[in-house]
Amino acid sequence: MSVTQIARTSPALLVVSPDNWRLAIAVGLLVSAPAVAALPPGTSFWVVGAMVALVAAAFVVNAWRRRYYGGLLVAPAIAVLFVMNIFPLLWSLGLSFFAYQSNLQSIRFVGLYNYTKVLTNEIAAPDNWNALVNTGMFVVLTVSAQMIVGFLLAMMFAKEFPLRRYLLILVLTPMMLSVVAAGVFFTYYYDPTFGILSYVVNSIAGGQFILMSSKAGAVAGIVFADAWMWSPFVMLLVLAGLVSVPKYLYEAAAIDRVSAWRRFWCITFPYIRGLLMLALLFRTIEAFKLADLVILLTKGGNDTMTISYQLIRIANEQNKTSEGAAISYVMLFMVIVLTNLYLYLANRRNRRVET
Amino acid sequence: MTASSTIKHALLAAGVAASLVTLGATWAPAEEVTLTMAVPDWPPTRIMKKFFDEQYKPKSGNHVVLDVDFIPWPDFYTRVNASLTSGEKKYNFIVSDSQWLGAFVEGGYYRKINDLLDADPEFKKTVLSVHPAVLAAYSTYPYKSKNYYGFPQFPDVLVNFARKDVLCDATEQKSFMAKYGKKLPCTGEELDAMTWDDFRNVGEFFRRKKGEMLAGKPLDDDFYGIAYQAGKGYDFASMQINGMIWQMGGNIWDETQAPTGQAEGVVNSPVAVKALEQYLGMIEYMPPVAKTGTMDIFKTDELFREGKVAMNVDWIGLGEGTIDPKISKVADKLVVGMMPGTLVDGKLVRWSNIGGQPFVLTTWTTPLQTKEAVEFVKWWLSDDIQRQFAAAGGQSAIKSVYEDPKYVTYRPWNRAWAASLDWQKDVWHVPQFFELLTEQQDQFDLAITGEQDAKTTLDNIAKFQQNLLTEAGLIQ
Repeated sequence: MSVTQIARTSPALLVVSPDNWRLAIAVGLLVSAPAVAALPPGTSFWVVGAMVALVAAAFVVNAWRRRYYGGLLVAPAIAVLFVMNIFPLLWSLGLSFFAYQSNLQSIRFVGLYNYTKVLTNEIAAPDNWNALVNTGMFVVLTVSAQMIVGFLLAMMFAKEFPLRRYLLILVLTPMMLSVVAAGVFFTYYYDPTFGILSYVVNSIAGGQFILMSSKAGAVAGIVFADAWMWSPFVMLLVLAGLVSVPKYLYEAAAIDRVSAWRRFWCITFPYIRGLLMLALLFRTIEAFKLADLVILLTKGGNDTMTISYQLIRIANEQNKTSEGAAISYVMLFMVIVLTNLYLYLANRRNRRVET
Repeated sequence: MTASSTIKHALLAAGVAASLVTLGATWAPAEEVTLTMAVPDWPPTRIMKKFFDEQYKPKSGNHVVLDVDFIPWPDFYTRVNASLTSGEKKYNFIVSDSQWLGAFVEGGYYRKINDLLDADPEFKKTVLSVHPAVLAAYSTYPYKSKNYYGFPQFPDVLVNFARKDVLCDATEQKSFMAKYGKKLPCTGEELDAMTWDDFRNVGEFFRRKKGEMLAGKPLDDDFYGIAYQAGKGYDFASMQINGMIWQMGGNIWDETQAPTGQAEGVVNSPVAVKALEQYLGMIEYMPPVAKTGTMDIFKTDELFREGKVAMNVDWIGLGEGTIDPKISKVADKLVVGMMPGTLVDGKLVRWSNIGGQPFVLTTWTTPLQTKEAVEFVKWWLSDDIQRQFAAAGGQSAIKSVYEDPKYVTYRPWNRAWAASLDWQKDVWHVPQFFELLTEQQDQFDLAITGEQDAKTTLDNIAKFQQNLLTEAGLIQ
């Protein structure tokens, strides 16, 4: 038996050695379970934490001795991901099964009560559903507005024209502004007394124009502000695609006298499709979380409440932590389903194109 | 080591220990005590910090530092809430809206001060010299009980800010008299005597289009008679509506009646519906932004400062801006009266929802810090400092201070202060405050933007409150 072969086999379960990760897991479970059951939460938290650290250390030593250097190299990233992301995620998943308010010190297991409450309770649920429907509406409207405007802007900036560089910087500015600044700016823009919009409409059409006094107006106001901020982002991505199209393809097409429409569909579009899809994915996920502009422009008035803002109110303002956790899990589930559906569709189309 | 050197070492050690003890004893009185405080960033708290740094000399001889965290208003609740619920135990003092008391007392964050009051008669005397309505609102949980928690930082009430250049104009006076058979209020006393009907009339009378005449001059923009808070955010409608409901003899859910007091039947009583109808009826005379549900206390203040309205009911706390010529077009035209009232049997009833903030002590404050904190509060509420605070733009709820004839000379709105205090009541202090408030504000917003009528609005609120409070065991 060669040296490497010895090193490749893990020690038997009951051998006490720093690389015995099986033993570490067994000890961890044996210590954690009674600690959680018997000790107060404040103490058992640290006991379980120490056990997790023990198992992690065993894995590291094991990987070192067995020369799984690849695994060792990604370990820090995985550790950070676990501490900053996966652990809080699991923690809040756990919280969603308890009745817990962050400003009160009591906690009680209630099973699926929070989920049934946020989804079916006759007083609490309608607001959530309504906010969810509004969110869906905002996703469709803001994302399509951004995709169209961003795409058209990119088509424009793909060509050379005087002052292009300066105009490009100007068009990119909204994206770099803080949302709060943009929100305050649009509040004044739409204000019926101080705002320029009402001023212009009033002087042309007469009467008193108040954009934000109806649902349609308020939604339009929010969608416009959001599109103003984020169309440049779509434009940047599409522009990157447009620039990558090889010039000779267009030259060949010109020799063949291919129509502009065909040129676009057969040459340009295949190059930018991937990036368009990426922009769509990013913007959809972001639009699902829309809350800042709503807070700044309407405070959720005129039926513009979104699920994210509803969540902020429940979890942060009213301190109903576990109810908020339940809503965020419902949301997370929906986003995961949507994203996968989207990836499935995108992949299927790719496969069809390839075959 | 020899025996002698052991003894030598022991002696040396004893000597060092002894000198350390002596040193400790001599240095003990001059301990460094830091009191950390979370406050909203605005003049009243800036003044407090300035006074402390310039004038405060602790009697104990300790070196006391007031470490103040100035937090912008829009973030204030979020930051305080996050600090408390995360358990970081950072602040010893917290400026708190009185409505937050229940939520944070139940969480074990705010320290009950009854033992401190009992231990120090002078402290008790100081705290009890605060106007009783203000003390009940700022300090007690449950509301109006004998459990004390807070001390006034900046007490505040709603008053009527008005423009005398417009109101006192001779032609306006004449045509108002011709139209309503009543004198158009122009002086502070006349403003004090206003009812909500008069307020409505002023609103109707002064609604002018661009190009029409106002006080003998053509307008370059639309002008409106009246404004008050009608916004969806935070409590920017409830604070006005509560006052009207109380004035007309109705009530909100009354926590002092718990657990037998009901929400249904009280919150949506016919009188309350009438009061809300009166509130909604005046919106049409207000600047058009009211129809968007975003006309909060800051927006009405801005409209008033920009000269777009003749009268604005708003908090004194925002008054300082109206007399600053740099940001106010009406700085030299200001006259202030009490908030309008309701005539009941020939007498003006003026119930109003109290504003402003107390500051409270937190439970993790050490005994030494608490001792210094008590001394600091005594100093803060002392006659001399409260007088200086008022002169610098603050308000005082200490009787001897606001009853001094000099008090009304400090600021234009101070003339309305003392008379308003007796009429202040507070909204709920229960831990469910935020849920009650957000639901109520959502419903009021629907009414303000014309989506539903007053009756439906209050029915919905009553149903929600009945359900929530029954679940919480506050209604049986």
